[in-house]
Amino acid sequence: MKKSLIISGFITAVLAVILAVTPLSNLSIIPLIIGFLCGLGILFISKKDKKRTKTIQYIFLLVTIALCLTIYKGIFQTSELGDTEQLQQREEDNLEDSKEILEDIEIDEDF
Amino acid sequence: MKKIILILAVIASLNSFSQNQTIGFGEELIFTASYNMSGLLTDIAQFKMETSEVKTSKSTLMRLKCTAATYSKWDNFFKIRDLYESYVNPKTLTPYLYKRDISEGGYYKFMQYKYNHKSKSVTSLKRKKRKDGNTWDEKKILNIGASTKDIVSLLYNIRNLDIQKASPGDKQNFTILFDNEEVIISIKYISKETISTKIGKKECYKLSLSVKGKDVLKGSESNLLWLTADANKVPVYAKFKIPVGNGELKIVSASGLKN
Repeated sequence: MKKSLIISGFITAVLAVILAVTPLSNLSIIPLIIGFLCGLGILFISKKDKKRTKTIQYIFLLVTIALCLTIYKGIFQTSELGDTEQLQQREEDNLEDSKEILEDIEIDEDF
Repeated sequence: MKKIILILAVIASLNSFSQNQTIGFGEELIFTASYNMSGLLTDIAQFKMETSEVKTSKSTLMRLKCTAATYSKWDNFFKIRDLYESYVNPKTLTPYLYKRDISEGGYYKFMQYKYNHKSKSVTSLKRKKRKDGNTWDEKKILNIGASTKDIVSLLYNIRNLDIQKASPGDKQNFTILFDNEEVIISIKYISKETISTKIGKKECYKLSLSVKGKDVLKGSESNLLWLTADANKVPVYAKFKIPVGNGELKIVSASGLKN
């Protein structure tokens, strides 16, 4: 039980850090919570067995890093548009092309 | 005499219904599109709706342009640079030319519909990119209904509806041409609601949209649109459910409004 909690706790905590670094930082919340719960589970079992394990500290450290990164990104990172030059060029090209096509169209007031 | 007055009144009211009293030239609406990721909404793209005047030697048309572009942080994952435009009669919002020029994560597609309302037909042009980078064209002539529109002109036509005269539960069907197929979109007026937006607290008309016989917009009341309950009927908020998840569209700014 303890071993499986340590393994899943580690995996989810590492996954939370990886996701927190990428633009998918919002997705890190689920592994973050699972990692934290696994850490709590290990802590509970260790207290019962009266044995101290260092892995709890590592899991909580990773969870804290992921949480800080996610909160930081959520507060300070603003959404900015990337390079739209190509799109603007396509808009202009389409407008010119459309004008040529529409040149022979006469608007019917009935429609 | 009474009959003549009655007929004139009916003609006048029909005319006012079809006339564009909502959308003017130079309007710009900016939205943020969010997608639901593990229960949290994440801003993924900017959606822009613009109108402008286009003059040809014979006539003046209104260009309805919609663009969608992903935010820079998503560009490395899935870059979207979409352009949808429709050239319409500024008085009736009837489309004459529609273009869809999309670039989504390496996938490119171009669709063009040239409407001929007298013969009730559309000359369609489809352009796709091959793997080697070359493009291929497919031309077709399609027969359409008298009131068939395109997706862009439909968005503006919804705004031009006399919703103030409608009662909750009222429905209206629209036919649009999408991917060379006629699709029926049903619009239902649900109720009036006051919501908070970035352009202030607005009283809105809440509408539901559904596509008949398609999986694109799933659910009868899961695709909702809020239009301001004023003369401009600005779309301020939208909720949508698609086969791969659900998302939202929120207004950021609105400028150049007609009324």
